[in-house]
Amino acid sequence: MLPSFIVIGILIVASQYVFLKGSFYKDLGLGRIGDTAVLDNYIRFFTDPFYLRTLWITIKTSALAAFFTLLLGFPVAYLIARMRSRWSMLLLAGIVVATFVTIVIKVFGLIIIFAADGWVNKMLLGLHIVDRPYTIIGNQVGVVVGLMHFTLGFGVLLLYSVIQTIPRSLEEAAQIHGASRFRMHLRVLLPLSLPGITVGSLMIFNMCMGAFTSAALLGGGRVFTLPVLIQRTVMMEVKYSMAGTLSAILLITVLLINLLSVFLLRRFRTARLVVT
Amino acid sequence: MTIKRRKAATQGALIAIGLGVAASASAGEFDGVTLTIATWGGTWKSNIEEVIVPKFEAMGGKVEFVTGSPQANLAKLIAARGRAPFDVMEVLDAQEKDFFTTGDFIQNVDLSKIPNAEGLDDWQRNESRVASWNTQETICYDKGKFAELGLEPPTTYTDLINEKLAGRISIPDITSGGGLANFGAFAYAAGGDETNVQPALDLINKLDALKFWSRGGEVITQFQSGDVYAAIVHAGWCTRAKNAGANVTTAHPKINDEHTGVNKYGWLVIMKSSENTDAANWYINEYLDPEFQLRLATKAGVVPVNKEAIARLEEDPVLAEMLVLDPAKLDTQLRIDYSKADIASWNDQWNRAVTK
Repeated sequence: MLPSFIVIGILIVASQYVFLKGSFYKDLGLGRIGDTAVLDNYIRFFTDPFYLRTLWITIKTSALAAFFTLLLGFPVAYLIARMRSRWSMLLLAGIVVATFVTIVIKVFGLIIIFAADGWVNKMLLGLHIVDRPYTIIGNQVGVVVGLMHFTLGFGVLLLYSVIQTIPRSLEEAAQIHGASRFRMHLRVLLPLSLPGITVGSLMIFNMCMGAFTSAALLGGGRVFTLPVLIQRTVMMEVKYSMAGTLSAILLITVLLINLLSVFLLRRFRTARLVVT
Repeated sequence: MTIKRRKAATQGALIAIGLGVAASASAGEFDGVTLTIATWGGTWKSNIEEVIVPKFEAMGGKVEFVTGSPQANLAKLIAARGRAPFDVMEVLDAQEKDFFTTGDFIQNVDLSKIPNAEGLDDWQRNESRVASWNTQETICYDKGKFAELGLEPPTTYTDLINEKLAGRISIPDITSGGGLANFGAFAYAAGGDETNVQPALDLINKLDALKFWSRGGEVITQFQSGDVYAAIVHAGWCTRAKNAGANVTTAHPKINDEHTGVNKYGWLVIMKSSENTDAANWYINEYLDPEFQLRLATKAGVVPVNKEAIARLEEDPVLAEMLVLDPAKLDTQLRIDYSKADIASWNDQWNRAVTK
């Protein structure tokens, strides 16, 4: 047990400690940091509209990606979970395999599909839905799509495991008692799966908050999320302390949002809006 | 006649013996030496592996690589607190202050051991660095699309501000290899300079670029997919796009009355912590060899610093079209003076201006 704890401690706690500690010192240029602890970087972050906007873009794109991932993932997960044929396992295996494909390949696939001469734009132009090719590169829509692409497989797998725990008999009982399919989903399936959905959405949201590749490639250097800004701060400006501050704020923001969600979930449970 | 033949044969034998002795003397010159080079990956590294590495191995040594952009390698150097995990590093002129002002990271090169540096201009070699190549930063444009849209070939950056080109321009992100050089050039073209880059940001925002590319390979993909009609990119990437089937050529932008075209330099430095200085100097000399310079130019599209190699580039019709090779015209190309630039401030201003 002890060796595992030591390894995990070094990998997780020690690395976090290094950048958290570094965030309290001033950058002196060329990667050097001062020797007196100050709050300058944090003050700069919270008083500079550029940094605050970056934080907002990070939260917004992550929340939208998590929402749409769940929205699109739920029907697929439900379908697979309720399938009685052997195809369900095949579909699930397909999703698992797709999840492990590196995001760089997936994103380049998206870029090709949405290219000016790609089939999506050919179809949109052909149907006169747009009058000039639509691009997902270099805007927030593209980043959201990229994040969804990154998390959709995980989302389906998470929701599948949640739906599987809900007995099919409950759905059948509701329908026997006259509930329509829509009403059964709204009044039975959704409340029963809400704790799972909440946990799943938090996991997807957390993944999106820290995602770099999708945001960097599809943002096209025009959409800055915090991970993108951290990379630029380290690589281009060699400001390790400021990068540490940005990382710390990202970590704390994610923690706060997760704690707030758990708190709200408990409140809902107390008010019996969620079935557990 | 017979006497002459005998004399020639004797001379030939002596030369052969001499060469043999020289070869055997140098064969083990770097026995047990592992030289680590910080450079780019891909085609760049392959050229070195195919030409320089076999020669070094024949002399008993071994070459290892740390691949990445100069910025990334600088970050590794800083993280290692100056104890560089490499002996020789390729750096860009944009890193002027990082390397050449402080002198914290590098040791002197020994020009007496680099005879191939003799052909360089004085400013291209000194005790701390030796120029290794340069790029010509251009407007690479799709000839067919421009003709189809009724547009004249571009001669300035402002020629790209056109409704017909909206969303069809690709320019380098400030984090890319040519980002700073082109950003500086934009500043000059718009009336600014190294100390005032705001005019560059105003000009860039007017261009309505599709995206900012961070790796040159992206530009090739963009031309092939029809996403862009023009890109600010060095001639090497434009050449590669042309070789990949895109109908492109270069225009060397008129910056102002003094300058037409933009130039960016690469340098070789020896790290302060290196203990393989003889091998490092040998490596730099081989890098400047005309044959290697020519190979790098034809494969990677950069411009040699070796004058013999530059002259031979004119024999390549594609490179002759893409590059400016006339020494008089080369002198008018803009080179940014990074000693005057506050790069951190450039980055900060860029980030704030381009974010959507």
